[in-house]
Formats: sequence, structure tokens, C-alpha cells
Amino acid sequence: MTTIFDSTSTVKTELSKQKYIASDEIATIVYLSEKLGKPLLTEGPAGVGKTELAKGIAKATGRELIRLQCYEGLDESKALYEWEYSKQLLYTQLLRDKLNDTLGKADSLAGAADQLAKEEDVFFSERFLLKRPLLKAILSDQPTVLLIDEIDRADAEFEAFLLEVLSDFQISVPELGTLTAKHKPFVILTSNNTRELSEALKRRCLYLFIDYPTLQEELAVVRLKVPDLNPKLAQQAVEFVQRLRKADMRKSPSISETLDWANALVALNASNLDKTTLEDTISVLLKHEADLQKAKRQYINPPPPQQPRPRNNNDEFGRFSGN
Amino acid sequence: MESRILQLIAALRASGVRVSLAESAESFSAVDLMGIQDREQFKLSLRATLIKDVKDIPTFEKLFPLFFGTGQPPMMGGNPTDDMTPEEAQMWAEAMKQFAEQMRQRMERLMNGEPLSRSELEALGKLVGLNQADNLNYQNWMAQRMMRALAFPEVREALKELMEQLQQMGMSRDRVEQMREMIQQNMQGMQEQINRFAGERLAENLSERPRGENIDSLMNRPFQALSDADKKLLQREVKKLAAALRTRIALRQKRMKSGQMDPKATIRANLKYHGVPMEIHHKDKIKKPKIVVICDISTSMRFCSELMLSFLFALQGQVRKTHAFAFIDHLESISEDFSGANADEAIQSVLWRMPSGHYNTDLGWSLQNFNDDFMDTLNSGTTLIIVGDGRNNYYDPRLDIFSLMTRRASRTIWLNPEPSTLWHGDSDMPKYAPLCNNVLKVGNLRELVNAVDELMTG
Repeated sequence: MTTIFDSTSTVKTELSKQKYIASDEIATIVYLSEKLGKPLLTEGPAGVGKTELAKGIAKATGRELIRLQCYEGLDESKALYEWEYSKQLLYTQLLRDKLNDTLGKADSLAGAADQLAKEEDVFFSERFLLKRPLLKAILSDQPTVLLIDEIDRADAEFEAFLLEVLSDFQISVPELGTLTAKHKPFVILTSNNTRELSEALKRRCLYLFIDYPTLQEELAVVRLKVPDLNPKLAQQAVEFVQRLRKADMRKSPSISETLDWANALVALNASNLDKTTLEDTISVLLKHEADLQKAKRQYINPPPPQQPRPRNNNDEFGRFSGN
Repeated sequence: MESRILQLIAALRASGVRVSLAESAESFSAVDLMGIQDREQFKLSLRATLIKDVKDIPTFEKLFPLFFGTGQPPMMGGNPTDDMTPEEAQMWAEAMKQFAEQMRQRMERLMNGEPLSRSELEALGKLVGLNQADNLNYQNWMAQRMMRALAFPEVREALKELMEQLQQMGMSRDRVEQMREMIQQNMQGMQEQINRFAGERLAENLSERPRGENIDSLMNRPFQALSDADKKLLQREVKKLAAALRTRIALRQKRMKSGQMDPKATIRANLKYHGVPMEIHHKDKIKKPKIVVICDISTSMRFCSELMLSFLFALQGQVRKTHAFAFIDHLESISEDFSGANADEAIQSVLWRMPSGHYNTDLGWSLQNFNDDFMDTLNSGTTLIIVGDGRNNYYDPRLDIFSLMTRRASRTIWLNPEPSTLWHGDSDMPKYAPLCNNVLKVGNLRELVNAVDELMTG
């Protein structure tokens, strides 16, 4: 079931089967990371398809995708494992009779303790270990893809704690010892660059920076994902988005927003990118009120060319002569 | 190939990119895997393993072609004299006669469209001092000097003249135009070759620069002994140091011992005690200091204050609130000036309002100003930092106000560039020092980094 990439071109074709268009750069670095068994750290603006890349790789290789979404305050018990105390208690309650039987045979207190010690493993075994994403990825019987999403949101301590997992693919559980991965998971970390990651973490990863796509790349993505949009309109739409990105916006539209917009255009049955269509749908692209106003001013209702105003000169002189 | 990659890594390091040993080893295994046939893939395998920060990608893109050039000789237009009719050749020889011997050789060289040989390039480089330079910004300038050494401008003029002459002598217009184009192309090819050579040589020199010599020695050099260029270099270094410091501090900042109880975590932790709350868990809260910093920005102290402020503003995430004040002869709040701007620019704008004169530093009067207007910024959670040499020009040191301030603040730290042996003359340091919790000597950048570390985590 699991296919393994054997060259950069297979990475590309396999990913494109999963509707993910990988540039040469992405394909090469993904291939390298898989071959070297190194985690892949992807950075870039929000919405350029970093998470999609992980999903695409999981589907293309037929591996399970295990996702760990990071947030402030994420700790070991939520990322790694936790002992399921309630289940342990329940088991001891239900197994009481059985325990009595076992321990009843012993003739002394020391004998009973020895008997109990033999059975200790029952209570601290993987059975009572609640697996969180990292441990799940390590212990899985099948190779997996582990996505550690938005690592920049987690605290710096959590990063430090990830180091063991990322470099040796092993986890230490005090009660059980060190658990080593049966299959090295393919690890992908994403970061929106909201804070600097530690040197130690970066050193353990390969680095891939995904930027906004070029016009051709973005057009290809739109054509692939929204095939119903007519080609001429798709071209116009992508050109418009690319132009918006060059303007100084508080939040530039990303590919995911372009796709939303393309879907909206299809839903509205638009045939041309005229003024009313733009006005109706631009809020899909721009999420800030200030950006919306700016775009409307600049692209949809550009101000009429400046007319020379009468009596303007007097005003100007009046204003400046004061200084 | 291996040594070439190592040179590239050395050059990256010399340009301020951090490449660890593990990463350079990684790059070799990546190259082993990908091979070197495809130049683009080769470049990507180096980039993915060596560069871990988007800010460093441009540096890499600039250096890579200098070490791994395409290797192709530059495009040459060919020799215009090759397919001349005998008449044309006659005219050509006639027109060439007017130039001096040396110039004629140079022109013919260009005409023949032969690229320069390695040894010729070496000689040219030596002539213009290329071997002593290791700054890539000089690439164009060096290339221009090399071209001037080849008398390019003169040759260009002479060729123009020659073309005009040939046309006058009756050679057809198209033919002259064709020749001109060819020569133009030859010239461009040669220019490119020289430019590339200059870049490669500079990059090689860069990679041979002794490691860490620059920054390390600058970090240990006293602030007074720094030149303006050094200061600029250090300002940049501060940003990198601040990033490293930030992660270190985030890991080591103290956590609150008390605070709001976290019921979820408490129940979870006490399941093992049958739900009897034996361990109480509190909401995680990190003790972030509140900082009031008072900086002396008179000429002697300016750079130290500038760096200190750069640090504080780079570490905003680790601080709850910063109030910054600057003084020379009086005190002003400069918090607004630092809303995200560069510290050096902000300092400039402050200095514009507060020009420094000679021997007019007056800490006493500045403390009076602070007392009148800003005393409420100090409370039991605040760390008070004074950056200054405590030299008061024999004005009243106003110890009464200072002791009030230190009592209001939870800690007072004084950063002074002078060691305690120099605290005499007009220095009021011996009087101020006993009131402070800590006086740290901050004479160079390394000491400043340690001081910042201390005050954020202490």
C-alpha cells in the first residue's frame, strides 16, 4: 500500500494526483527529507498550502496522517501520553477477586508482595497509556505522516521537549522506559513565522520556505481545484489576486482565499470579472475592513482623473505663506 | 567539489549565517543523495540543509552562483574580420593605421572575440587589489576598476571612431552595423567574464577570512573604542543576539508559585490519589518583569544606551511593560519614540529634541523631573534600570529622590561602563551604588548581553 518516492518527479506526479501542485523546489526538498529521514520544517505566510502539503504527502504515500495542532500552553500530557488512572482504578476494582486468588496462595506477607510484584506489569503497561499524537506516531505499526502544525504557537519549552522526538524518534516514559519508533514517521512541521524558532530545532530539520505562488502556478492550482471556473475568468481572477498581493495590504490574500473566491465565482455563475461581481465577492478575498476599503478605492472605483480645480492656487498660496 | 562546498559554507558563515557542523555534514549527505548533475536540485539540496531562516535565503542565492558558476565561457559575438572581402580587409587595415600600436592590439583583441585567460584575469585582479578585498558589495566597483585597467573606455571610443572611418571610406552601412553589433557583444561577454571573476574571487576571500575574528573581537571591545562602521555592524549583531536571548529567557523565566487554581489540571493530576486533591495545580503564569529604564544619552554614553534600548525592544514579548526615559540635562519620556522603530533612528529623533552640549549632564535635575511627572510608573513589580556613568558634573546628585525610587521599585540595577576603580572625580557612583541592588559593569557588548540576561531572569 505504501508507495515510496523514488525520485523528485514521482513526488511531483504523486502529489498532483492528490491535487497538490508541487513546484520543483517543493518536490526536491520533500524527496530529500524522505530519503534522509529528517523532519521537514516549512515556513511561509498563512494559507499557502503548508498543511495541505502534509495532507497531500500522507495521501500520496497511503500513510495515516497524525496531526498535532500546537497552541500556547500545549504540554506533554496533551501531546505525548497520559496515564489513564480511572481505567487503572476500574481494572483493580474488577480484578479484585482474581487478585485475592493470586495473593491468597502466598503464605506470608513477603510472599504476597512478591506475587504482586510479578503482576506489576499489568498495571503499568501500554494498555493504560492514553496515546496522544506524538506517541501514536512513534508506536504505530504502519509508517505514518506526523504533522506538527503551527509550531510557532507553542511555547519555547515545548520546542525543547520535541527535540528528543525529532532527532531520535524515541520517547522516554519513566514507568516503561524508552519507546523507540517501529517505523520512522515522516515529520512535517509548519510555522507561520510569528516568532523565531530555536536554533536547536532548526538544526534538526530541513528547511522549506513556501512563498506565494507565481501567476502560472496559482492559475494551475485554481484550474485543478475549481475545474468549473471558465479559463478566461480564472486567468482574470488570478491576475487580480496577484495584483492585490503587490499592494500593501494588512492581510494579503493567500491561495486558500483565491480558491474560496474562485468557488464563489462559480456559485454566482459569473461570466466576467465586472464591477458588480467584484464588489459582491471581494470580501471573500480580503478580511480586513481597511483592506476592503482600499481595494474598492483603488481597483473597483478608481477615482476619476484629477481635474484642475479653479481657485485652487489661491488656497495653496494661502496655506503655505504662513510658514 | 567537496572543498568548493566547504568554501561556500565558510563564506556563508563569514556573511553572518549560522551554519552548524551538523548542518554542513547534512548538506554532504544531501548532495550524495541528489547528485550534482542537475544544478537546480544541487542548489536546493544545499539550501534546504544549510539555510534555516528565510532572511538568509538572499545571502545564499547571492553566494551560490559565485562558487558554482555555470562554468560556460561568456557569449562572444565572433570575429568580424573573418568573412571580409579583400577590399573590405584593405579598408580595415587602412583605418587601423591611425591608432597607436598598443591601442591597436587592444582593439584587435576585442575584435577577435576571445575570452580572457585565467592568468590574464589573475594579473588584472592583482593590479586592482582584488585579493585584499572580501566584501561582496565591492564586486561592481572591482570589476569596473579591472575594465579601466584594460582601457575599456578608450577602446570603446576608438572603435566608434574606427566604425565612422570605415563608413566614410565606403563600406556598406549594413556591414558596419553588423560589425558594431558583434563587437558590442564581445565587449559584453568580456565584461561579464570580468564581473564574474571579481565576484568569485571576493567570495573566495570571504570564505578564507579567519572565523569569528570580526564580531567576536568587536563584542569584547570597549564601547568608546568603536568606530562608526563597527557600531553599525554591532547594531545588526544585536538583533541576532536578541533572538537567541529571547528563546533562552523564555525557557528560564520564573513561574509564579501562586496564582489562580487550575481546576482541570488539578483534577487530572489527582486522579491517582482517588480524586483527593493532594497536588494543587495553578494556572501557568510566567513572571515577566515590568521595566523602567532611564538612559544617559550624552555623547559618552549614547551607544551603550542605544544598544540597551535595542535589546529591550527586541525582548518586548518577555516583558510586561517598558517605560523608557532619556536624559542629558533634563529627563524626557521616550516610550513613544520606540513604538517598533529602530533604536538608532529613535535615538536620533530623541537627540533632535534634546541636543547634547558640553559637560551639561545633570542626573540630579533629571531625577527631579522623574519625581515630578513619572513617579507613578514605579511600583512593587518594577525593575528600575539606570544606564549611565553617574558623572554629574558636581551637581546635586539628589540622593533623596533616588533612594525613594529604589524603595518604590522592587529591584534597582545600574549599568555602568566604568569599573569601580574609576569612580572618582565628578562621579557620584560611590553615593548611588549602595542604594542599588546590583551595579553591573557594562563596557562592551558581551557584558551588556550578560547583564540583560541577568535582569530578565534574575
